[in-house]
Amino acid sequence: MTATLARPAERAPAHRTGTALRTAGRWAGALAGAVAIFCVLLLAKGADPVTALGDMVASTFTGASLQQIVVKATPLILAAMAVVLPARAGLTNVGGEGQVVIGAVAGAGVGLVVQGPAALPLMLLAGAAGGALWAGVAAALRLAVGVNEAVTTLLLNYIALDVMLYLIYEPWKDRHGSGQPATRPLEVAARLPLLSGTAIHMGIVIALVAAVAVWLVLRATSFGFKVSVVGGNPEAARRAGLPVARLILVAMLLGGALAGLAGVVHLAGVEFKLRPGLTTNVGYVAFLAAWLARHKPLPTVGAAFLLAAVTVAGDSLQLDSGLPAATVNVLMGLVLLAVLGWSRRAHR
Amino acid sequence: MRKIITGAALAVLATACSANTAGTATPASGGTVVPGKGSTAVGFIFVGPKDDYGYNQAAYQGSQEVAKAFPNLKVITAENVPEDDNAARVMNSMIAKGAKIVFATSYGHLDAALKVAAEHPDVVVVQQGNLITGSAPPNAGTFFGTVYEPVYLAGIAAGRATKTGKLGYVYAFPISQTIDNIDAFELGARSVNPSVKTYAVNTSSWCDPAKQAEAAANLLKQGVDVITQHQDCTATVIKATEAAGAMTVGYHADASAIAPKGWLTGSQWNWGPLYSDIVRTALGGTFTGSKYNGNFRVGYKTGDNPFVQSPYGPLVDDKTRRLIEAAKDTLKSGSPFAGPVRDQEGKVRIPDGTTPDYETIEKIDYFVEGVVGSLPKS
Amino acid sequence: MLIVDVLTGGVRGGTAIMFAALGETLAERAGVVNLGTEGCMLVGALGGYAVAAETGNPWLGLLAGALAGALLGLVHAVAVVWRRADQFATGLTLMFLGLGLTSLFGAAYVGKAAPGFDPVPLPVLGDIPVIGEILFRHDPVTYLTFVAAPLLWFALNRTKAGLLVRTAGERADVLHVHGYSPGLIRTVAVTAGAALAGLGGAQLSTAYAHAWFEGMTAGRGFIAVALVIFAAWRPLWVVAGSYLFGAALAVAPALQARGQSLNQFALDALPFVITLVILAVLGRRTLRAAPEELRRVFAR
Repeated sequence: MTATLARPAERAPAHRTGTALRTAGRWAGALAGAVAIFCVLLLAKGADPVTALGDMVASTFTGASLQQIVVKATPLILAAMAVVLPARAGLTNVGGEGQVVIGAVAGAGVGLVVQGPAALPLMLLAGAAGGALWAGVAAALRLAVGVNEAVTTLLLNYIALDVMLYLIYEPWKDRHGSGQPATRPLEVAARLPLLSGTAIHMGIVIALVAAVAVWLVLRATSFGFKVSVVGGNPEAARRAGLPVARLILVAMLLGGALAGLAGVVHLAGVEFKLRPGLTTNVGYVAFLAAWLARHKPLPTVGAAFLLAAVTVAGDSLQLDSGLPAATVNVLMGLVLLAVLGWSRRAHR
Repeated sequence: MRKIITGAALAVLATACSANTAGTATPASGGTVVPGKGSTAVGFIFVGPKDDYGYNQAAYQGSQEVAKAFPNLKVITAENVPEDDNAARVMNSMIAKGAKIVFATSYGHLDAALKVAAEHPDVVVVQQGNLITGSAPPNAGTFFGTVYEPVYLAGIAAGRATKTGKLGYVYAFPISQTIDNIDAFELGARSVNPSVKTYAVNTSSWCDPAKQAEAAANLLKQGVDVITQHQDCTATVIKATEAAGAMTVGYHADASAIAPKGWLTGSQWNWGPLYSDIVRTALGGTFTGSKYNGNFRVGYKTGDNPFVQSPYGPLVDDKTRRLIEAAKDTLKSGSPFAGPVRDQEGKVRIPDGTTPDYETIEKIDYFVEGVVGSLPKS
Repeated sequence: MLIVDVLTGGVRGGTAIMFAALGETLAERAGVVNLGTEGCMLVGALGGYAVAAETGNPWLGLLAGALAGALLGLVHAVAVVWRRADQFATGLTLMFLGLGLTSLFGAAYVGKAAPGFDPVPLPVLGDIPVIGEILFRHDPVTYLTFVAAPLLWFALNRTKAGLLVRTAGERADVLHVHGYSPGLIRTVAVTAGAALAGLGGAQLSTAYAHAWFEGMTAGRGFIAVALVIFAAWRPLWVVAGSYLFGAALAVAPALQARGQSLNQFALDALPFVITLVILAVLGRRTLRAAPEELRRVFAR
């Protein structure tokens, strides 16, 4: 973990089931604490926590809501993989947001020009390339002049947004639209097909395949092993003769490509037009999803689903309980804090 | 733990895929669907917080008047709904809770509104402020007031009141609604004071108070002595203007309380009657083919504009009030954009003797003569 | 003159960022990054405005803003220092938490009137041509930063407390040997730093914008974090960086109010591009200045 103050944890030689039980207990305790604090806040706002949470759960387990969770989780999974992969190489990629935007921009650019069946695959490629390029800037700065990538990726997020706004307000604006700052919609051939009878698009398949691929690469390839060595101890990796700079660069580029893919998949699966607010925090939420699962690829998929579910369930806090929209951010923040800080023993 | 999370994710996925399109009502084949009829609830989505003291608060107040007028209807509201597919998701949730009438109140909600309308032929979906190009689906429509008309009238007050001949306009983004407002403001001011100029400064945000403060400070520094704005939150600019001893033309709400000295007039919303009439039409089953089933615009020419003039402040003299009353009468048969209208280069864009219709005005993409500032080229 | 207006705007707009960046400097000199500065500024902005509105005293508001920031900072410190949570992830979580909490409890204060700080030109100094206009015709909170930055420099470099903070950031184990707790020192530094961020937020709402609105910090907290590195962890360079950033933000309105304009979106991106370019140019030089314990976080 790149940024913990803790040295690598020494595992207590405890009995396995005992450890598992204790871990589960700690998780339950942390989550219960978060929910309890949330309930107190709801009471302070004059809402009945039992009804509010009950409605929230009830409205989540309907067919339509579950489909929406999958749709929301799709870009989150991809963008979270863009955090996982660089993290294994010891890098903190906070730039998912910008890479997602540039991926969508690149994909839309191709979609506006290319017609017919070639459009979709080319868009996906362009999106991945765009995201990789954006992450590549941060990686290059890190390798060439040693500037920390957490800071540069953060700054690049803002620049990416301005690039997109410029394009949709000026050169790419739909002249036949109603003056809205947006590109014209993608052709039907350039859209991702839906799973029959649902609102879920094929992007989820791409996302799950990507997640499994990341898992396999990290687990079963020599590249994955080398990256983990670099992430674990770059000095030792250097002494062992590993091409540290190249490994860092590749991990970051691959990560950026995945985030770019998230952007273009969301564009081609749901939005169809490039418009302001296309991503609404996908990059940041994905960053937290990856941390929630401690950068393990498959649990990260689960965490992405969990955070997508919290967002969708959060609608109910407004619609049923009449609470402000941002209430769901409080719940998310408390849950994350509990998991980050209180779901395991703090090694001192 | 990891297995539990992964397993849960797979379960969600499986259920979601196998679930048929629950909540998506399919129209009875062959039978006619009457959108909106028999609805037990009405949904409203807002792009910003419902207490922003501006655009969204006005829309929220309108929804509360609907609640008062139709006590048997449940009014469901959602704030901070982004202008992307999230809007469709929230509207669908409202429909799942029984709403067959949905108001999408932000300009950028149009695409989502049309998508939801296509999926739910039994639901009336109306969008506030944007324009459906092409033909409207039988269960959809847009509605708006002619916002630029009261802004034109306020421009008259500003043109009469300014001592420096410089007016300021703080705006967010160059969308057509805003361009219309800036143009109308200058046209109104010019109609009584031909040399007056309007300086347009944008903030690239519907509400970033710090950027607004900077915009106002710079306008004031340049000798502008009347400032108005097209922002979702308006307090910062008004307070800065008042503190500098300059004059304010309001937007969205009557803010004369925070500018007791410099308040001239302004424009504010009164959505209740229009919202209620749309709901009444939909509940009665007569939405399709009605005036709301298309791009409904209402201005001084056609009826009760939901965008009304704010009360006057102490600086507006009797002569100005008479001029404004006279202009209002002219608008009942004319338009602020009645030709000749010249653009910044002096080129005639609307010829003498022409009165453009609402749709033409909503597609204006240039600043008129007398506006200082430039628009992005597209 | 355009340049005078841009620089004046730089001081006006740079002040809130400077408070936050000074606070972040303090935290990072002790070895902890607080990416949640954005959240701390937000709670400070609301706390400041709300208390000013309720009590009618903007100074009390300022105090409340600092306190609110400190509380959120304490959460960060406890999670990161004592519970070993990841700094970046916790910081980002704090941002969401700040956004949510202020929106939940801030609605009542949108559009509500509250007493604030108006510009008070300083006698004599304010009359100096050019410099007087740029520096000495602002609100009292802006003048506070003129004192705060040198004070922080002095405290860090010339006092025992400063030595302890710096040692916590450079060689934490040395503190152990001398019987000090690096964890405690870090907790205090992070909390105090967050109080400064809260103060910056309160300046934004009570002195600059004279309003509260949810999300009104609009990324300024993140900028502050980037500025600290750009300033190589030195308080006095933070001053320069904050004003530079403020000035970059002030270019667009200053030009437009004169009827001139450059590409709007290029201008919006300018402050971020400038920061990025400066980081790239300073490069390894800034890194060498990094507190030792932070280098483990920043460059491995």
